[in-house]
Amino acid sequence: MTAPVVDRAGSALRQPSARRADRRAGAVQGRRRLTGVLLVLPALLLLGTFFLYPLARTVVMSTFTWPLLGNRAFIGLGNYLEAFGDQAFLSAIGFTLVYTLVVTPVLLAVGLVLAGLVQRRTRAARIFQTVYFLPVVIGLASASYLFLFLWQPVIGPTTNLLAGLGVLDVTTNLFGDAVGAFVVVLLLVVWKTAGLQMLLLLSGFQSIPQEVNEAAAVDGATGWQRFVHVTLPLLRPTLALVLVFSVAGSLLAFDQFYILTAGGPDNSTITAVYQIFRSSFIQLDLGYGAALSLLLMLVLGLVSAGQLLLLRNSDHS
Amino acid sequence: MTRTALKALALATVAATGLVLSGCSSGAGSADDDTVTLWIRDYQRELVTPLAEAFNATHETQVEITLVPTTTFVQKLATAVAGGNPPDMASLDLVFTPYFSQAGALLDVTDRVEALPYADDLSPAHVAQATFDERVYGVPFTGDASVLFYNKGLFAEAGLDPDDPPATYDELLEAAKAVRALGGSNYGFAFSGACGGCNIFSFTPLIWASDGSVLSEDGRTAQLDSQPVTDALQLYRDLWEADTMPSLVRTDAGPNAATAFQEGVVGMRGDGTAFLGALEAGGQVDFGVAPLPGRDGGTASFAGGDDLSIMSGSDDPDGAWEFLEWATDVEAQTILADQSVLPIRLDLHDSIYVPADPRRQVFADALEVGRVPYSPVENELFNDNNGVWATMISRAVFDGDVEAAQRDAQRDAQATLDAVVHDEEGDR
Repeated sequence: MTAPVVDRAGSALRQPSARRADRRAGAVQGRRRLTGVLLVLPALLLLGTFFLYPLARTVVMSTFTWPLLGNRAFIGLGNYLEAFGDQAFLSAIGFTLVYTLVVTPVLLAVGLVLAGLVQRRTRAARIFQTVYFLPVVIGLASASYLFLFLWQPVIGPTTNLLAGLGVLDVTTNLFGDAVGAFVVVLLLVVWKTAGLQMLLLLSGFQSIPQEVNEAAAVDGATGWQRFVHVTLPLLRPTLALVLVFSVAGSLLAFDQFYILTAGGPDNSTITAVYQIFRSSFIQLDLGYGAALSLLLMLVLGLVSAGQLLLLRNSDHS
Repeated sequence: MTRTALKALALATVAATGLVLSGCSSGAGSADDDTVTLWIRDYQRELVTPLAEAFNATHETQVEITLVPTTTFVQKLATAVAGGNPPDMASLDLVFTPYFSQAGALLDVTDRVEALPYADDLSPAHVAQATFDERVYGVPFTGDASVLFYNKGLFAEAGLDPDDPPATYDELLEAAKAVRALGGSNYGFAFSGACGGCNIFSFTPLIWASDGSVLSEDGRTAQLDSQPVTDALQLYRDLWEADTMPSLVRTDAGPNAATAFQEGVVGMRGDGTAFLGALEAGGQVDFGVAPLPGRDGGTASFAGGDDLSIMSGSDDPDGAWEFLEWATDVEAQTILADQSVLPIRLDLHDSIYVPADPRRQVFADALEVGRVPYSPVENELFNDNNGVWATMISRAVFDGDVEAAQRDAQRDAQATLDAVVHDEEGDR
């Protein structure tokens, strides 16, 4: 980052001039370097305190038997080996992947539809854009409690509404069945996050030059053809961003399951982060929890890198 | 070395020592101002605040309460201990006392407890939970006991004798069916099907009363696949199959099943003293209480509540003990009993607790014989809503495969217990 600054300062030095000027320029160069260091220092400090140090500490912890209280012992890769044979963790990973695979396309589709709906530059479109975006600014935990109440049997307003329409019985306990619980979580997440996807996709739409679409229209392309062959390819960078966001978010899902389903029924909705939470704070085994966290981080990094690579390569095809 | 240099060195040493000392004392509140700190769970605020006020008004030592969220109490306390910065005292749900005492986090108060004139009248279950290797690490603080609540109005409507509550599994099942037969939104029985802690409290007594158990006496062997456990699970399965329970019980982690009983639409439910207080205050339901029954008769109860312990790092154990001693005596226990907390002094029940409501006699009797499974991994085994205990009950009652549920639970519970034993031996 500092290299160009140095070069420019250096070329300035080569002007034929007195030694004094030379020295002064050297001082300027040093001062600039110092300023640069000082300017990045706060960011470095934050990064070190809140990311690098905790990360290093997590790595160290993951190689120990580290109970919250009691004796610690170094066990090398023992925690990692245990994780690969831990049925509870493996099924949590499995469930998280299924959840991600279901939720990502649904979110993308809903986001695209919403973005299409509010694309026009009218006042009404701005109002609806705001309406669709509103749930995004609600905290996930608050939204989860809201849905928990809405869908309660007998007392929940949504349950009552659906019962009034004859869709289900008012005593139906959707949380009491794995599919029902999953559907409620899915509805919550779509309602809560589709607005953000819409906004990102909308900015992608608006960055596509109007002329390209007009030219395609002149060439006789239908609306659908223009969407598939013009809009989507040009939207690729935005799609990459949206997909990475939603996949990362889904792989780290915790709050909505902790509050809405409490992992139930019969532990069928325990996600990877939920299992890490249980290992660390219920079984009080911090070392094992740290190892699971690092494994999840690795998976997350691989998935995100893979996604970015895929979407970048197809750009050149 | 010159004299000035020596003087400077001496000064530096003094300063450094001062720093170290002040660093130590900052741990558990400052020692010089006679203040001792006490951690309680947030929902105990209204219970313990009047207690602290009464104590502070009459003592030079002052108690300062810190509220900690209930769901994270154990983690937060353990973190404080691990960080070398614990409070002077903590009020621990008695099931967690073995974990903290075995980790060396609690102060040994054996001699002080034994010197109490009423040492033999303390709730035996509370003392047992506070005991490790024959040393005592706390005093009983608040009492609770699980019993069977039943709705007398619904019993009468259903043609059952409101003064003759069920005393066996069969009678309980028949009573539940009779109440359900009233139709509408009336249900026979309700429990919290997704709550480990609720069920160790109100379901285990059904097993104990049938001469069974969930853990061996020494706490090292799981007995989840034993016949008495099968019988009790089968009872709940039958209750569910006979449609005597509302659908919410399957996913209830505590509050909803209780609310349903308070609304007067549930015939029976196992619960404790806090529920008694809520029902007395509400006044809407005409209810009775009875001991939780065994399969063919017999009764049992889970002795719940808190132990009060001094933390190992406390810098004012004498001040803390002052509060512990006072908290177990008449004044404090009366303040608690007035809020319908069961006194942990068996000798005080007749004078300060039972007179307010004859139904309280059932709780007083239950505490005397109350039991608790003793284990440093109680939280992981029984209180975790996703743990082996909660999972076993949910699978057996709602999915119906009692045998497989028990087999898997037994295997997982034993593995957890073996890991503990293994750790302990590794330490030696």
